[in-house]
Amino acid sequence: MDAALQMQPAPTPRLLRILTLVTALGFAAALFLGLFVAGADSQQGPIQRIFYIHMPAFFGAFTAFGATVIGGAVYLWRRDERWDKIALAGVEVGLAFALINLATGAIWARPIWNTWWTWDPRLTSAAIMVLTYAAYLMLRAGIEDPRRQRSLMSVYGIFAFVSVLTTLFIIRIVPETIHPVIVGPSPQNAQGSFEATRGVAMALVPSLIVWTIFMPLTLIWHRCRLENRMEAVKRLKVQALSE
Amino acid sequence: MRHALALFCALCALWPCGGLLAQEEPPVPYFQSAAFNAPIPAGWQDQSRAGIAQFYQAAAQATIRTRIVPAGDVADAVEQDLQAWLGSPVGSPVYQGKVNLADGTWRSLVYQIGDDTTASVMARPNETGIIVISFVEAHPAAKIIMLTIAQAEQNDAQTEMTAALQTFKISGRADLSAPQTLTLSSGEWLLQSSAAAAAMGRALGNDSYIALAEGGAESLPELADAYHSSLLGFYITPDTSTFLWLGLAASFGILGILLFSFVWRRRGLQKELVLIQTLTQEAD
Repeated sequence: MDAALQMQPAPTPRLLRILTLVTALGFAAALFLGLFVAGADSQQGPIQRIFYIHMPAFFGAFTAFGATVIGGAVYLWRRDERWDKIALAGVEVGLAFALINLATGAIWARPIWNTWWTWDPRLTSAAIMVLTYAAYLMLRAGIEDPRRQRSLMSVYGIFAFVSVLTTLFIIRIVPETIHPVIVGPSPQNAQGSFEATRGVAMALVPSLIVWTIFMPLTLIWHRCRLENRMEAVKRLKVQALSE
Repeated sequence: MRHALALFCALCALWPCGGLLAQEEPPVPYFQSAAFNAPIPAGWQDQSRAGIAQFYQAAAQATIRTRIVPAGDVADAVEQDLQAWLGSPVGSPVYQGKVNLADGTWRSLVYQIGDDTTASVMARPNETGIIVISFVEAHPAAKIIMLTIAQAEQNDAQTEMTAALQTFKISGRADLSAPQTLTLSSGEWLLQSSAAAAAMGRALGNDSYIALAEGGAESLPELADAYHSSLLGFYITPDTSTFLWLGLAASFGILGILLFSFVWRRRGLQKELVLIQTLTQEAD
């Protein structure tokens, strides 16, 4: 049997093992701080604690989609496939985070706004962002030629980031929003806003660090390794068929 | 490459953190309990204890007290509470009316207790009992009444003030000044006053908030502002724990699907690899 076909999975790098452990512990610690240590909000009740996931999940998506922009840009520059894998991993991880952000937001809105959904500027732009990145995955799956697929999706990934920036900044631009602004003053018509006191910050900052840095980095790395393996198996298939 | 990505992520995370730490504490002090929350009027002595928010103003001998009384009937609950607190029978209310506010239908009640004490109460039932927000004034030289009135027809605050002055037969009502606007922390009020009496009124939505004073007229704006702020600032913390669990389940569900897809695809690849190896061996 050909030695190349006796493929064993590459051992998990020590750094990735440590990163995974730190991420898991950090995730548990951040969750504990948000659920049990941060003070209760007397106006909103326990649902306010979902904020310690809702907002960090968006910034996690921001990081992951940012990796897609970097991966796409560097791929277009160097034509190195590894960067395209980072871009793809960024979309998958970012989409999951963006869905968490959207779902937790809708669940928070039900008792606070008395509706699951409203066509508020930020909610609308967040929904467009999710659809834009879901379309990335569908479009990518539909392009057969690998080189064409990588080039086109790199460009798409860079331009799709506009939807992320729009979601981030729209409440600073459009005053008609009811979405609260936690960092800085909320608009006059914001509903369900609360003060970012020291207690809130003490739970939110660790959560932001875990969700924005550690979780996307760890998940993107694992996803890239999976992509490497998928490609290796694909190569083996071609090799086996040609023999 | 990894360093650049990590630096980018770190900057993204730290950018909002700087702004967060610069925020200030909320300025309005509150009495907070599991059952309800009530604002503490500025300058009033806090006499609160477990389950009872109570604030006292010595100069006017006035008390604002909020509690939830475990009783079935609004009038019974108010009488029980006042009687237990003041230690004397309260009798029947001298005035009672109903008002529909955003958080339910409230009863506005006024009691004359002995010669010196007047109790103005807003009360409504909730799941755990009857919410009772009382304003009790015991100054021998003054009689202070606080009312919340559902507006009849298109009446404004001025009309309701005149009607209330007549209903309670406030002495000196004929000598009151022309109405003037007074801005307090609770909002804009109309004020009519003389040396012996005063009346204040404020229309809010379909209701009018009225304060009347027979004697002690000069203290009425502060007392009305404090009681009105207590009524508007009172709230019950909602039990939204079901939604929190739902949010956590959604978050863990989505993260779980992502992680499961990694594992599933990896297992699929492993199976494919075994198949390729088997086929290759058979071919050999």
